[in-house]
Amino acid sequence: MTYAPQPDFGTPASGAADLVTLQIDGRSLTVPAGTSVMRAAAEQGTAIPRLCATDSLAAFGSCRLCLVEIDGVRGTPASCTTPVAAGMVVRTQTDRLAKLRRGVMELYISDHPLDCLTCAANGDCELQDQAGAVGLRDVRYGAGGNHLGQAKDVSNPYFDFDPSKCIACSRCVRACDEVQGTLALTIAGRGFESKVSAGLASEDFFGSECVSCGACVQACPTATLVEKSVVAIGTPDRSVITTCAYCGVGCSFRAEMRGEQLVRMVPWKDGKANRGHSCVKGRFAWGYANHAERITTPMIRARIDQPWQPVSWETAFAHAASELRRIEADYGRGAIGGITSSRCTNEENFLVQKLIRAGFGNNNVDTCARVCHSPTGYGLKTTFGTSAGTQDFDSVAHSDVILIIGANPTDGHPVFASRMKRRLRQGAKLIVIDPRRIDMVRSPHIIAEHHLPLRPGTNVAVLTAMAHVIVTDGLADEAFVRERCDWDEYQDWAAFVARPANSPEHLAPVTMVDAGELRAAARLFATGGNGAIYYGLGVTEHSQGSSTVMAIANLAMATGNIGRPGVGVNPLRGQNNVQGACDMGSFPHELAGYRHVSDAAARALFEAEWGVAIDPEPGLRIPNMLDAAVDGRFKALYCQGEDILQSDPNTSHVAAGLAAMECVIVHDLFLNETANYAHIFLPGSTFLEKNGTFTNAERRIQPVRKVMAPLTGLEDWQVTQGLANALGLGWHYGHPSEIMDEVARLTPSFAGVSFDRLDAAGSLQWPVTAAAPEGTPVMHVDGFVRGRGKFVVTDYVPTDEKTGPRFPLLLTTGRILSHYNVGAQTRRTANVAWHKEDVLEIHPADADDRGLKTGDWVRLASRSGATTLRAQVTDRVAPGVVYTTFHHPATQANVVTTEYSDWATNCPEYKVTAVQVAPSNGPSEWQEDYAAQARTSRRIAVPAAE
Amino acid sequence: MTTHDNLVAMANQIARNFEVLGDAAAAAATANHLRLFWAPQLRAAITAGDAGLTPVASAAIRVLHADGL
Amino acid sequence: MRICISDDALAIACGADRVAAAFAAAVPAAEVVRTSSWGMHWLEPLVEIDGVGYGPVAPGDVAAILAGTADALRIGDVAAHPYIARQTRLTFVRAGRTRPTSLADYAATGGWAGLAAAQRMGAAATLAAVTESGLRGRGGAGFPAGIKWATVAAAPGPRKFTVCNADEGDSGTFADRMLMEGDPFCLIEGMAIAGLATGAGKGFIYVRSEYPHAIAKLEAAIALAADIIAPFVVEVRVGAGSYVCGEETALLNSLEGKRGEVRAKPPLPAHAGLFGFPTVINNVLTLAAVPWILVHGAAAYADYGLGRSRGTMPIQLAGNIRHGGLFETAFGVTLGELVDDIGGGTASGRPVRAVQVGGPLGAYHPRADFGTPFDYEAFAAAAGLIGHGGIVVFDDSVDMARQARFAMAFCAAESCGKCTPCRLGAVRGVETLDRIIAGERRAENLELVADLCETMKFGSLCALGGFTPYPVLSAIRNFPQDFAR
Repeated sequence: MTYAPQPDFGTPASGAADLVTLQIDGRSLTVPAGTSVMRAAAEQGTAIPRLCATDSLAAFGSCRLCLVEIDGVRGTPASCTTPVAAGMVVRTQTDRLAKLRRGVMELYISDHPLDCLTCAANGDCELQDQAGAVGLRDVRYGAGGNHLGQAKDVSNPYFDFDPSKCIACSRCVRACDEVQGTLALTIAGRGFESKVSAGLASEDFFGSECVSCGACVQACPTATLVEKSVVAIGTPDRSVITTCAYCGVGCSFRAEMRGEQLVRMVPWKDGKANRGHSCVKGRFAWGYANHAERITTPMIRARIDQPWQPVSWETAFAHAASELRRIEADYGRGAIGGITSSRCTNEENFLVQKLIRAGFGNNNVDTCARVCHSPTGYGLKTTFGTSAGTQDFDSVAHSDVILIIGANPTDGHPVFASRMKRRLRQGAKLIVIDPRRIDMVRSPHIIAEHHLPLRPGTNVAVLTAMAHVIVTDGLADEAFVRERCDWDEYQDWAAFVARPANSPEHLAPVTMVDAGELRAAARLFATGGNGAIYYGLGVTEHSQGSSTVMAIANLAMATGNIGRPGVGVNPLRGQNNVQGACDMGSFPHELAGYRHVSDAAARALFEAEWGVAIDPEPGLRIPNMLDAAVDGRFKALYCQGEDILQSDPNTSHVAAGLAAMECVIVHDLFLNETANYAHIFLPGSTFLEKNGTFTNAERRIQPVRKVMAPLTGLEDWQVTQGLANALGLGWHYGHPSEIMDEVARLTPSFAGVSFDRLDAAGSLQWPVTAAAPEGTPVMHVDGFVRGRGKFVVTDYVPTDEKTGPRFPLLLTTGRILSHYNVGAQTRRTANVAWHKEDVLEIHPADADDRGLKTGDWVRLASRSGATTLRAQVTDRVAPGVVYTTFHHPATQANVVTTEYSDWATNCPEYKVTAVQVAPSNGPSEWQEDYAAQARTSRRIAVPAAE
Repeated sequence: MTTHDNLVAMANQIARNFEVLGDAAAAAATANHLRLFWAPQLRAAITAGDAGLTPVASAAIRVLHADGL
Repeated sequence: MRICISDDALAIACGADRVAAAFAAAVPAAEVVRTSSWGMHWLEPLVEIDGVGYGPVAPGDVAAILAGTADALRIGDVAAHPYIARQTRLTFVRAGRTRPTSLADYAATGGWAGLAAAQRMGAAATLAAVTESGLRGRGGAGFPAGIKWATVAAAPGPRKFTVCNADEGDSGTFADRMLMEGDPFCLIEGMAIAGLATGAGKGFIYVRSEYPHAIAKLEAAIALAADIIAPFVVEVRVGAGSYVCGEETALLNSLEGKRGEVRAKPPLPAHAGLFGFPTVINNVLTLAAVPWILVHGAAAYADYGLGRSRGTMPIQLAGNIRHGGLFETAFGVTLGELVDDIGGGTASGRPVRAVQVGGPLGAYHPRADFGTPFDYEAFAAAAGLIGHGGIVVFDDSVDMARQARFAMAFCAAESCGKCTPCRLGAVRGVETLDRIIAGERRAENLELVADLCETMKFGSLCALGGFTPYPVLSAIRNFPQDFAR
C-alpha cells in the first residue's frame, strides 16, 4: 500500500435532499443543492486549485486560487464560496484563470522559504502541490518584505509551529473554532502583518488555551504546523485505518506508518464516531506503545517479595495452568476467577470470559465496568430493555436542549464534546447538573442556560425534583407515555414525584440547588424541543447510581425524548471498549448479549458450542472476590488489562485481598500496581499490535487493525488461548474474526456482525440483525426493546457516607483531559507536560479555614486511609466539596475512597467520600510503605548466562 | 468491616431502595434481586435472623430461604 | 439678534467655537445659535446674523462685523449664495438651517413626515416607493436600495436588522459626517423607515471612531427620538480605526465583536447578515435620502438624475480646490463643471493636473475626462468610479508615480489580511513601484505591476484589493511620463 492523504473535496458535503443539475467544463452533473462549485467539480474528478479550502471547514474564500468563470456572473467568483445553481455553466480551466492563479501563487511563493527538499512536509505539502498544479515557473518579485526566518514555537510536546512557512490561510484558526471549539487560535495583526497567534501575542502554544487536539496541525496545508514525529521520522509511506484505544468515543484513525514505525495518528474523516476529529490522547499520546517500561517477556515468581524470573511463553502458560489446577484442587472450583478488560478487544474479552466459564467452570468473571457503568447496564435494561445508550453521536446535531449530568465531556470525551459544542454554538440550550463548574458551563461562545451545582450524592433528589416540576406543571408528554410506556407504572411514578416532599423547594436543603433555577431547568428540558441527556460516572459511581440511571430514563420517557435523532439517554462510556466488554458477557450474572446465566435456553446455546456445562448461578463480583480472598476462600485471579489496585476503591482492602491470593496472573503492557501483587506476568500487546474490534459508547463496533508486529510475539487473544490450551481446552482460533463469528453465532444482537461486514461498512452499531442488517443508530424507534417503557419509582436514599466533625468535606473524583484512567498509558507519554501529578481542588473558603494556598502539600484523609498531594485553591468547586483525579499511583486517590457502593450493582461510590484536608509536609504512611513494597516487587532478575 | 457485615449492609441497602414499593413488594423485589445478582454462596452467607438486617431485608432473606435460596 | 454659527466639526476645527464665544461676550443679549453647516468649507467659520452671512470669521473680526464694517467677509443672504443656489438639496435640505439635535427644528422642517407616510402606507408600499425612486446605494457600489430592502423583507428569519454604514473612510469625503452631525434625526428616520419596510426591529449605526462629534450628536438624537421611532430601536456602535470595516461584511464582523475581516459572499447580508440574520446594510446617505422620497413621492425623486442614476448625490469637493465643500446635485453634472466652475480650480492657483474621484480606490482622471457626467455608468465607462462621491483635486506639482505607490501603500496599510492578492499583492506593489521610481528594469516592472493589478482586481475578495488597481493603472495610463523620469 502506498501513502496518499484522504481525498479532500474542499468544502463540506451539503445535507440537502433536493438536487441541482449544472455544467462544469462542459460536463453535466447533478449534486445536492447547497454544494459548492468546488465540491461539485471535485466529485466530478476536476481538481480546482485551492489552499484555504478543506472539507472539514466552512468555505472561507481567502486564498483566491479557486476562481472560476460562470456564465452570467461578473468577474471570477471563488468556487469554494459559490453554491451550485440549476443550469449554471462553469469553466474551471481557461487561460485567464490560469494566469490569475499563477499570479496568486507567485505572490505566495514570494513570501515562502524555498527549502522544499529539506522541509518536513516535502511531498505532503499542499502549497508545493498547488504551485505545480498552476504551473508557476518563475517568481518575478525581487527581494522584499517577508515573514522568513522567524523563530519556531516548539513549546508543544507534539507539534512545532514555524511561522516562516505560514501562508495565513486561517485553516488552523478555523479548525480550532469550528471543529474543536476551543477558539485558542486567532489571526493577530492585519494585512501583511497578519499572523497566526495562540492567544495573546506573548503566549506560545503551550502557554495558550490550546488543548492540543491536533485539528490545526491536520488542517495546515504546509509544514507550518507539523507533528514533531514527522520531523523526526519523515513522511509516512503507508496507512492503516484503526480505532483509538482511549475513551469510549472510539475515534477512527489512520495510523500512518513509515515502514514498521508509526509516524502519526491522523483522525479518519470517514470515522462515524469522530467525523475526522481527535483529542490530545488519541492523536498524539501513543508513545507508550514503545516505552522502555513495556514488558515483552513472560515472567513468574513464587512469592511477591521475590524478583521476577523471565521465562518462555510455554513455561509461563504451563506454570499458570498448573497453579490454577492446583488451587482448584486445594480450594475448590469457586476459588478462582478472572477480570476482563475494557481496554482489550471484544474478541479478547469474549475469550477471557469463555476461559472462566468453560475452563475454570464457574461464573467468577467480572470487568472494570463494575466500577464505572454497571449501573447503566442495570438501569437501562430495567427501564428500556437494553443495557446501552439509545443514540448515535450524530444525534447531538439534532438536539435543542442538552442536559449533561455527572459528566465532564471536554475532559473525559473531548471529541464528542467538540461535536456537542458545535451544536450549542448553533443555538441549542444547555443544562449542566454537576457539583463542579465544569468547562461546559462556560466556554467560548457557550454558556449553560442553567448550572445546578448539587451536593455530591443527591442526583436522585435533583432528578426527582425536575420530574416533580414537569408532572405538576402538566408538561409531561402523556401521549407518548400512553403509546409507548406502561401507563399504570407511569401513573404510580407521576403520583410519587408529584408529592410535595419531592418539590424543588422541599429538596433544596438536601441538594443545595436553588429551587427556582431547578424549576426553570426542568421547564426548559420539557418544552425546549428535542431534549437529550448525556451522563457519565458522576451518575453511576454513587450509592444510588442505578437509581439515577433509571431516574434519567424516567425523565426521558416522561418528556417523550426517546426514539428519534436529537433525543435519548446517552451514557458517555469511560473506556474504549467498556460497552464491548459488557456486551461480550463479562459480568458474573450474564452471558454475551446480556442474557442471564439462569436463562436455560441461552445457556444451552453456549453449552452446545463449547461442549461444557455452564453454571446457572451468578458468580462473584470483583469486590466479592476480594472479600473472599481476605477471608481465605478465593485464591487465584487472572486479570487482563486492568489495574484494580489503583483503580478500585479502598486501596488497602484491594491490596489485602491480592496479597492473600496464591496465584495472581496479571496480563498487561506494564508492571502496573496490581502486578506488585502478582505471581505470573503475561505481557500484553497494544491496540497497534493486534486485530479485533472495539465497541464505543454508541454501540458502534469498529475494527482494530494490526499496524505493527506485537513486541511480545503474541496478540492478547493468543495469550488467553495459550493459557486455555495449557488448561486443556483445545482452542484453535486462527484469527480474531473466527472469535467474532462465534460471538455472532451465539448472540442475537450480533447476528449480522463479521469482520468482512465491518470492513465493508467501516463500522456497525448493534443490534445488527436480519431486521436491521445495517445496524441500529437510534434505538427504541418504534417501541422499546422490552415492550413497554418501564417507569421505576426512584426514592432518594441518602448515602451512608456522611460528613461530620472528623471528616467535614466531601471528596469527589474525576479525570483530566491529558490523562486517561489510571494513567498507565498517558503517564508514559509527553502528556505529563500538562499534568504531572494529581492535585486537590479546594474552595477558597475551605482553604482559608485551613491556612492553605495553591501548591501547598495537603493530607487528604478519610476513614479508609490517607494520602498527600498538592492543593489547588479554586472556586470551580463549591464550598464543602474537594475534587481530585486518580491518574497517578504516587497519589492513589483510592486509598481514601470507601467500600460503599451502588445498591444494585456494587459500582463503587467514588464520587462521595467524607474527608478532612490538612496541611502536610510529606507522604502518608501508606504512600511510604507502598512505595517500598513497589520497589521490591518490581525487581526483575537478570537471566543467568548460559 | 467483615465480609458478613458487608453483606448485611448491602442487603439492607437493596431493601431500602425497594421500600418505596411497600414492604411486601420490597421484600419480594429484594429477594429477586439477590437471586439474580448475588452468587449463591453470598446468599447463603446471611440468614433472616442476622443482627443488623432491616425488616424488609430480613423478609427478603426469608423469601429466598423459603424458595431454597 | 440671532447669531447662527455651525457646530460642525470642520467649522469647529476652523475656530467656530472661539468665534461663538467672542460673539457671546460681545453681545450678551444676542441669541447665539449653533446650527448645522451649510457646507461651504472655505467660508467656515460662517456666521449668519439675522439672515446675513459672513465668512470666514476669526474672533478678531467680531467687532468689525458688529460695527458693520466687515465688508470683505460679508456674503449676504447665505441661501442665495451661488454655491448653494445652484445645488439641489434633498438630503441636505436642512444644512445650515436647523439646530442638529432640536426636535422642534426637525419637526418644523418636515421631519418625521416620511416615517408617518411609511406608517400610513405600510411595508409593501414603502418598499415599492423606495424601489420606484431609483435610489441606489450611496456607499459606492450603487446597488438599488429597493431591491436590497425587498430581499431582506422576503428573507425568512426570526429577527432582522438595519445597519447603517457610517464608517466613512474615503479620503476627501465628509458627507456622512455632515449629515450625522447636522441632521441626525434624518438618518434615524430613514433607519426607522427601513425597519418598518423590512421587518427589522433594531438598527445599528456603525460610526468610525474618528467622528466623536457625530457620535455625540447621534447618541443625543437617539435618546430624544426614542419614543417617536418606537418600537424600532437604534444603537450607535463605534469602529476601531480600520478602513476595511467600511466594507459591509467586515463591518458586520466588527459589529459582532469579531476581527474586522471581510466575509465571502454569498451569503449576502440580506440573507445572512448581522449574527446570521437578514440585514439591510446601507450607507448614511442612502438611508437619509429615504424620508424625502416618502414625503415627496418616488416619482419626484426619480425626476432628478440621469440614466440609471436617479435623484441627487451629495458630492464632496476636496483636496487642492478653491471652493471645497458639500455640493448636492442631481446626477449628470460633469466632472469639469464640478472642479472648474463650482470648485473654482485649485486652491494653489496652479493648473489642475489630476482629479481622483471616489476615494483612495478611485481612478485619477486627467483634464481629458472632464466631460464625463457624474453618473455610476458614465464613470465606469471612463475606467473609474464615483464611489461615495468624493473628489480630490491635484495641481501640476503632483508626482503620479508617487500617487500610484501611495495607492498600493494605502491598500497594504488597510488590508484586513484575509485574501492573498491584497495581503501580499499590495506590499509587492509598493516594492515594485519603488523599483520603477528608482529606474530599475522599468519595462519589466511595469508589466509586473500590470499583471499584479489584474491579479488584485479579479482575485481580491473585496473592493479594497479589487479597486486599488484603479488609481494605480489610471496613473500609469493617464500620466505615463511620471513613470519614466
